[in-house]
Amino acid sequence: MSHADSDQTYVESTIIMTTVRVVVPFVFTFGLFVMFHGAESAGGGFQGGVIVASAVLLLAFAFGIEPTREWLEGPLVKTTIAVGGATFAFVGLGALAMNGAFLEYEAYGFGSDGVKYGIELVELAIGAIVSGVLISLFFSLASGDFLVVSANNGIEAEPSENAANGSDDAASDSDNGSDDGVDASVGATGGELA
Amino acid sequence: MIDLLGTHYNYLVFVALVAIGLYGVTASTNLVKKIIGLNIFQVGIFLFFVTSGYVDGAAPPLVGHGSGPYASPLPHVLILTAIVVGVSLTAVALALIVRIYEAYGTLDEDAIREVQLND
Amino acid sequence: MTTVSTTLAIVLTFSVLAALAAIFLRDVLNAIIAFAAFSFGIAVAWILLAAPDVALTEAAVGAGITTVLFLVTIAKTVRPSGERLLEAVEWRSVAIVVLLVGTLLTTVRSLPAVGSADAPVATSRVTEYYLQNAYPETGVENAVTAVLAAYRGFDTLGEATVVIAAGVAVLLVLRQEAYV
Repeated sequence: MSHADSDQTYVESTIIMTTVRVVVPFVFTFGLFVMFHGAESAGGGFQGGVIVASAVLLLAFAFGIEPTREWLEGPLVKTTIAVGGATFAFVGLGALAMNGAFLEYEAYGFGSDGVKYGIELVELAIGAIVSGVLISLFFSLASGDFLVVSANNGIEAEPSENAANGSDDAASDSDNGSDDGVDASVGATGGELA
Repeated sequence: MIDLLGTHYNYLVFVALVAIGLYGVTASTNLVKKIIGLNIFQVGIFLFFVTSGYVDGAAPPLVGHGSGPYASPLPHVLILTAIVVGVSLTAVALALIVRIYEAYGTLDEDAIREVQLND
Repeated sequence: MTTVSTTLAIVLTFSVLAALAAIFLRDVLNAIIAFAAFSFGIAVAWILLAAPDVALTEAAVGAGITTVLFLVTIAKTVRPSGERLLEAVEWRSVAIVVLLVGTLLTTVRSLPAVGSADAPVATSRVTEYYLQNAYPETGVENAVTAVLAAYRGFDTLGEATVVIAAGVAVLLVLRQEAYV
């Protein structure tokens, strides 16, 4: 992942890359801690989700947006968002099925601990949604075709097509190849910040 | 008016931020700076909400640790979600700006209007 | 009578100055950096106002993610910068802003003092109910989490839907042909 972008505008900075390599695991862990620990201390899904997303953004700025995007490519982010949304909805609807009101945790019949763990589960679902959406927002703004690539791979019956080719195809198919200039200029920001 | 500075400082800052935000939205011709103004306006409203739930010497609303007074948790919840929704909508606005740039080749409001008139 | 703490006043003054800089600096990159400083100041203010949950979110979102999104946008488009450092004052906007400020200032005096214990929100039955019952009813010590996921859970589901919808909207706006 640490290879430089092919375009000449991205400047590899050893200082930033080393710092980020040390800091990111802690930021990521702290984000997960905030997400899991929302019941006992300040924190929760929204807070932890944005911290996890900012850890990925740190990676993108230290190692270039394109390499990070390729590293994260595939259904991971999309699945995270979908699983988060579905968990939240099903925890709510499940209570209806157990003859309770929507999101009435008592209806599951696990006592007061059940309420607490239900809330934790919902917080984790929110964290998954928030972190996933913010990461994909960033990559779609930065390069335009982050989730589209994985979606196209799913729709087209060509699993043999490798990820890099897939992204090129999606770019040229849907945007008349204007992405090249875009990617180069995005790399320029990384360079300036570095 | 001077006594208000001592007791209502946050509300005066709220007015100042809303004013700065509104000025940014109306006066800037650059679309990105309009969005910055919108964000500042939004934070002004957040400040109003969070201040309304604050009590002098209050602890954060972590009940079960010692005893009050606690700050009201309700404004915190509203603002917490509003911040995340705000950043999502900022991203939508920025995506629209990128498309506008692709279509018009500029982000200047006056230049875009000129292009529209010429078409 | 209560007075606002000096620290809070300093932090808020810093934030207002940074906000002014964000609007009046002509170079958009400078404006974005000033906006990041503004968000950071506001995040500290949330801590001083006993809202650590909001502070965590603001620090990561305002000073982090929003700033990065702005930077990515100007990298994809243009970064207009003139020879002047500051924008010229637009007097028609000043007139509108003066109207708004005048209207709001007439109401400020009627608001309760900052931090007064008998302010309507602090003494409202809703606040009291949450603070007294959140822990016994849900077993969650953080009242913010309890309200977010339990008492106002349906509202939060709506917020999550808005966030997902925003993600879909960005995809649609940037890549119409792939989905429409």
